[in-house]
Amino acid sequence: MLSVFILAPFAGSLLAIFFPPDQRGATAWFAGAIALLCFLVAAGLYPFVTSGGVLRYDLAWLPELGLNFTLRMDGFAWLFTVLVTAIGVLVVLYARYYMAAEDPVPRFLALFLAFMGSMLGVVLSGNLILLAVFWELTSIVSFLLIGYWHHNAHARDGARMALTMTGTGGLCMLVGLLLMGRIVGSYDLDVVLTSGDLIRNSPLYMPVLILILLGALTKSAQFPFHFWLPHAMSAPTPVSAYLHSATMVKAGVFLLARLWPVMAGTEAWFWTVGLAGLSTLLLGAYFAIFQQDLKGLLAYSTISHLGLITVLLSLGSPLAAVAAVFHIVNHATFKASLFMAAGIIDHETGTRDMRKLGGLIRYMPGTAVLAMVASAAMAGVPLLNGFISKEMFFAEAIETHQANILDTMTPYGATLAGMFAVTYSLRFIHSVFYGKAPEDLPKVPHEPPRWMRAPIEFLVLACLVVGIIPAITIGPFLHTAVVAILGASTPQYSLAVWHGWNLPLIMSFVALAGGVGLYFLMRNYLATSIEGPPIFRLLHGQRIFERVLVTLSWKWARSLEQRLGTRRLQPQMRFLVFIAIAAAALPLLLSHYEMPPLLVRSIDPAFALLWAVGIACAIGAALLAKFHRLAALVLLGGAGLTTCLTFVWLSAPDLAVTQLLVEIVTTVLILLGLRWLPKRIEDTQESELLSLQVRFRRLRDFLLAITAGGGVALIAYTMMTRPLPETIASYFLERAYKEGGGTNVVNVILVDFRGFDTLGEIGVLAIVALTVFALLLRFRPQADSLEAPEQQRVQNAFDDDHPDRNEGDSVAEYLFVPSVIMRWMFPVIGMLAAYLFLRGHDLPGGGFAAGIAMSIGFILQYMSGGTRWVEERLRIHPLRWMSIGLLVAAATGIGSWLFGYPFLTSHAQYATLPIVGKFPLASALFFDLGVFSLVLGATVLILIALAHQSIRAPRAHARAMRSGKEAS
Amino acid sequence: MTAETLLASLQLSIPELILAVGAMALLMIGVFAGEKSASTVTGLAVAVLIIAGLWLVLKTGEGEAYGGAFLSDPFAKFMKVLALIGSITAMVMTVGHARSAQIDRFEFPVLLVLATLGMLLMISANDLISLYLSLELQSLALYVVAAINRDSVRSTEAGLKYFVLGALSSGMLLYGMSLIYGFTGHTGFTQIAAALTAEGRSLGLIFGLVFVLAGLAFKISAVPFHMWTPDVYEGAPTPVTAFFAAAPKVAAMAILVRIVINAFEPVVADWQQIIVFISIASMLLGAFAAIGQKNIKRLMAYSSIGHMGYALVGLAAGSMAGVRGVLLYMLIYMVMTLGTFACILAMRRKEGENVENIDDLAGLSQTNPFMATVLTVLMFSLAGIPPMAGFFGKYFVFMAAIEAQLYALAIIGVLASVVGAYYYLRVIKVMWFDDAKGEFARTAGELKLVFGLSGLFVIGYVLIGGPLGSAAEAAARTFF
Repeated sequence: MLSVFILAPFAGSLLAIFFPPDQRGATAWFAGAIALLCFLVAAGLYPFVTSGGVLRYDLAWLPELGLNFTLRMDGFAWLFTVLVTAIGVLVVLYARYYMAAEDPVPRFLALFLAFMGSMLGVVLSGNLILLAVFWELTSIVSFLLIGYWHHNAHARDGARMALTMTGTGGLCMLVGLLLMGRIVGSYDLDVVLTSGDLIRNSPLYMPVLILILLGALTKSAQFPFHFWLPHAMSAPTPVSAYLHSATMVKAGVFLLARLWPVMAGTEAWFWTVGLAGLSTLLLGAYFAIFQQDLKGLLAYSTISHLGLITVLLSLGSPLAAVAAVFHIVNHATFKASLFMAAGIIDHETGTRDMRKLGGLIRYMPGTAVLAMVASAAMAGVPLLNGFISKEMFFAEAIETHQANILDTMTPYGATLAGMFAVTYSLRFIHSVFYGKAPEDLPKVPHEPPRWMRAPIEFLVLACLVVGIIPAITIGPFLHTAVVAILGASTPQYSLAVWHGWNLPLIMSFVALAGGVGLYFLMRNYLATSIEGPPIFRLLHGQRIFERVLVTLSWKWARSLEQRLGTRRLQPQMRFLVFIAIAAAALPLLLSHYEMPPLLVRSIDPAFALLWAVGIACAIGAALLAKFHRLAALVLLGGAGLTTCLTFVWLSAPDLAVTQLLVEIVTTVLILLGLRWLPKRIEDTQESELLSLQVRFRRLRDFLLAITAGGGVALIAYTMMTRPLPETIASYFLERAYKEGGGTNVVNVILVDFRGFDTLGEIGVLAIVALTVFALLLRFRPQADSLEAPEQQRVQNAFDDDHPDRNEGDSVAEYLFVPSVIMRWMFPVIGMLAAYLFLRGHDLPGGGFAAGIAMSIGFILQYMSGGTRWVEERLRIHPLRWMSIGLLVAAATGIGSWLFGYPFLTSHAQYATLPIVGKFPLASALFFDLGVFSLVLGATVLILIALAHQSIRAPRAHARAMRSGKEAS
Repeated sequence: MTAETLLASLQLSIPELILAVGAMALLMIGVFAGEKSASTVTGLAVAVLIIAGLWLVLKTGEGEAYGGAFLSDPFAKFMKVLALIGSITAMVMTVGHARSAQIDRFEFPVLLVLATLGMLLMISANDLISLYLSLELQSLALYVVAAINRDSVRSTEAGLKYFVLGALSSGMLLYGMSLIYGFTGHTGFTQIAAALTAEGRSLGLIFGLVFVLAGLAFKISAVPFHMWTPDVYEGAPTPVTAFFAAAPKVAAMAILVRIVINAFEPVVADWQQIIVFISIASMLLGAFAAIGQKNIKRLMAYSSIGHMGYALVGLAAGSMAGVRGVLLYMLIYMVMTLGTFACILAMRRKEGENVENIDDLAGLSQTNPFMATVLTVLMFSLAGIPPMAGFFGKYFVFMAAIEAQLYALAIIGVLASVVGAYYYLRVIKVMWFDDAKGEFARTAGELKLVFGLSGLFVIGYVLIGGPLGSAAEAAARTFF
């Protein structure tokens, strides 16, 4: 049954959207019917919640997370449900007449119903998380409702501020509720409500209290979060009447009352809640006096009354809690009617400014009477409901709850606030309905339609009836609600108008008399003053809020981003490296790292010198990389050579050979590539003239490099001084000859143990070569590097100057001796390659090394003879070399299938050739042959691709550009 | 490896094989059919992804493959389904925009399929080597994709930046891996964990851990390795950005979860600190840096940084609940992001030019109420306001953090999400309250479908959260 309260409004809201915009009446009927339905259901459920009964509705949702869709209705929730639905019905009726024909009413009512559903959800949630969900939902919907007239800038700001405040508070509250659930071990409200001692004694009580209060106080517009409410007054009046009197702002005090049994009674509660409440009570009332906007006055008065309720809840005594609940109902009744009255005045006169209004009793006597009664209830005049709860408040304020200064101050504060309340209530009536008749109003004032006034009549009647015979009318309901909160500790209290002459009554009279006096003293000032209280109006809450928001979120965020963020790549990389260093340094510093002892064995001076040269080369390469690429490359080659020699020194000739060959090939290929890059960047500034900034930057980069390099060295050092973990090296060492038939373990691994991997790798190499070829095929050099190099230009100029010479002669002569030597070298290198190849299985060498060696021969030919010369004589296409290599390698592997062995099984034996002598002839040799062929082909292919750049005419480039343009 | 084990391994990785073979076949089709085949290839690529996804859901079993390097378990399946959905959706969204974004080349879908293949392998990786290889497969494809619009300076710059920084971070990752291998003697996650339990932690291992986490943090664009994100998001063509924002994040997060929970379970105290730091830094930076953004793609970049921070909150908890939180967060994040990017893609003026400033959304509520409503819902969800899906994502991870007694982390997270809510609300404000500047062109059907579904999911999560939660729970149970 309880699910009706959630389902009906939300379903109705969905349906209402689909009403045509001009159907004001029909939509209103529909929305009203839904609200009425909820109200009737609530009324029908009353018997179930009397005397502490609780209705529950459970829907397993995410049970394993303790998240159930639990609705729970006890007496207190019932009271709120009735309040929300009953006033909902009245507001719909009112809105039917209030909204203008051109307003999109279906949208309004859809939002209104959604709000009602959310509010009912807050009230009826039986689960803390669910409560938070509905809580935020009320914030969102109220945002949309306040901003309903979105063409109004003020409404937009108000809406945004309301959402920011209440939404933020709601999120804080969510954390608080989560922590609370953590303390209790369940989010179920029934469980929570019985775990008061657990919560109050928990070490997390303070954070929970503060976080939940942040939620409740922002929602109920308590000081210092009160300022959003007056700004929310730009909402349509039905919204204000509903949200800002009866429902949304009450959610905060609802939560305080709901959690009162488990959280109240501590000193922290008393101070935080009490201080917030008392300052709100006083400031709200004081500010209300000085408002010129009717709704502004009501807004501040709402703030003040909410403060009153908060104070009552802070006291921690059961009687005060009773008074708080009672005042919640009373305030909802008279404040809703006052908002509606203000709306009527605005609607029928066109203004809400009290300086312009006056004498309206002559034009709208009915409304005037109703407003007067309601505001008298607000002021706490006897025989009205406001009076009774205010008396209870005074009585509680006098009582001593905790011996401290705040408690002592409460009665005085209460009386003062009561006085202010009388003043602003009187002002509301007097300045609007009495005095001289208004001039130049936007509209001619008159009574509103009959049914627009009906909701007010009903509410005012309720004020009167409750005020005169409270015990019979509201008594039982109030009792039901109070029992739900207080349970067994429900105190004896009597609801009556007359309690005899006692202190609270005297306080009431003081407040009444003082308030009237104060009004007449200030009347003339108020009639002309500008909006807002003196002094305080300079302190615009809104202005502060916005400034803080802008500074915090916009200015700081932007400057932070400008400082820290960058779109340039270099700083980003520097940052990344820096972070990496920091991340690595942190554990180092934290864990008292001890260097493993450095073992100095005899260091050969020659080896040390070698490394000194190598290090110098590496540093030089880094230094020159930007300014002189060629030099940097040469130095890089030097560093590489050092590495090769180190391998030799440390008895790894195989690695050394491979490294050397790879080193040579890559250096040459890069050299060829360098042709198309600008030769050097001229360092225009002399080093003396370098600005401080540049020096600083270089120093910083230098330090960064040193640290990073040092760190890596340190890690490597630590690593190498550790005992080696079990590796597979010994496995291969043992089995290389036994099973692979070779003593060169590396080569045996390549062609035998890991032959399959090698097959894959040479496949990749082939693809790389093809890709490089394909990419460079379409490469056109940049225009600025098209020009022939300086040296060639000088030589060509020389040739041109001498008529007996052809172009290119100089180059040919220049390179004559080297080219002859290089050509002679070719067979020698071929021999070397064959040698490396054949001995590969047992000694350093192998197909890969041989292939690289052979390609060096080709590189030399290119360098000496030039592209054209070589290609005229090149008989074998590199692509064929590659494909044959791949096929041979694969065929060797497949061949072993023929003999019934797995793929790539090799067979080893020795063979003898004339002249060459005995050499190892494993079947892996054919595989190696494939590797050789492919490596050679791939390298030569890349070489051709690079070399072709030099003979590609710039004209072709231009032509390609042109045709490209035409095509597109 | 005998024939039977090979066959069993192959069977477990059939979805990946479908993608691998599919990508090559599509490439061939593209090469032989020429440039005009782009849309055909895109359609076929979507089909390939869908087939792989179906096979994954319906046919794939569980177990180890390839000598323990590849693992198929409920966690992997969950994340793979997410990654596939992300890829498929992003690819569908490119259809209408390929031409205007100048990405109508047949290589584009092929690259996306390859990237997706990398993701799936990464999610299943149970070994440092397979992790690295799959990560690189994914990354290399993404580097190219980021720069696919060769004629646009922004796009090529984005691709180059992404490549350089990505290479740097890959280097760190590799370096960390080699340290881990050096100090434990293993590359398999299970063996690493066993070695750590047996021998205890050593300093070198912590170094390795730091570098590995740094490399992975780069891939999920967590602070302080986030630098590339805004530039790449802004620079890359929008359909590419949509792809970047969804599936790769899911995959990288999956491997991050797997490596810390599986391999480094014995040193939980060490990695927890790192994750907590990364998480806090990401949440705060994501929240504050996004505020000043005018370009909605940049905004989404910072938003994604922040969201990764929230997801890491769950991981920091290191518990079953935490991992479940991460899974759900990634699911919800992905749906929200795809929906939002569908809206961003729909921001196209009638004259045909694409716009990407937040101000261009002004007055959307009047010109295109449907899209405005969906985008509003998505923004609310991204902000984590109940009852949208985004709230539940945050709820699960914060819950896990609180249960793990990481109170400070949870509270900072909530504060960051409050700040974050501010800029999402700004987008909403612009849409509903500002005056329209001009109308957008008619939204393509596929985009409408994507953002409509995404909006529906975000609102309806309240109803379908139960089954999804239990699916995530089953997946998270893999580790505990």
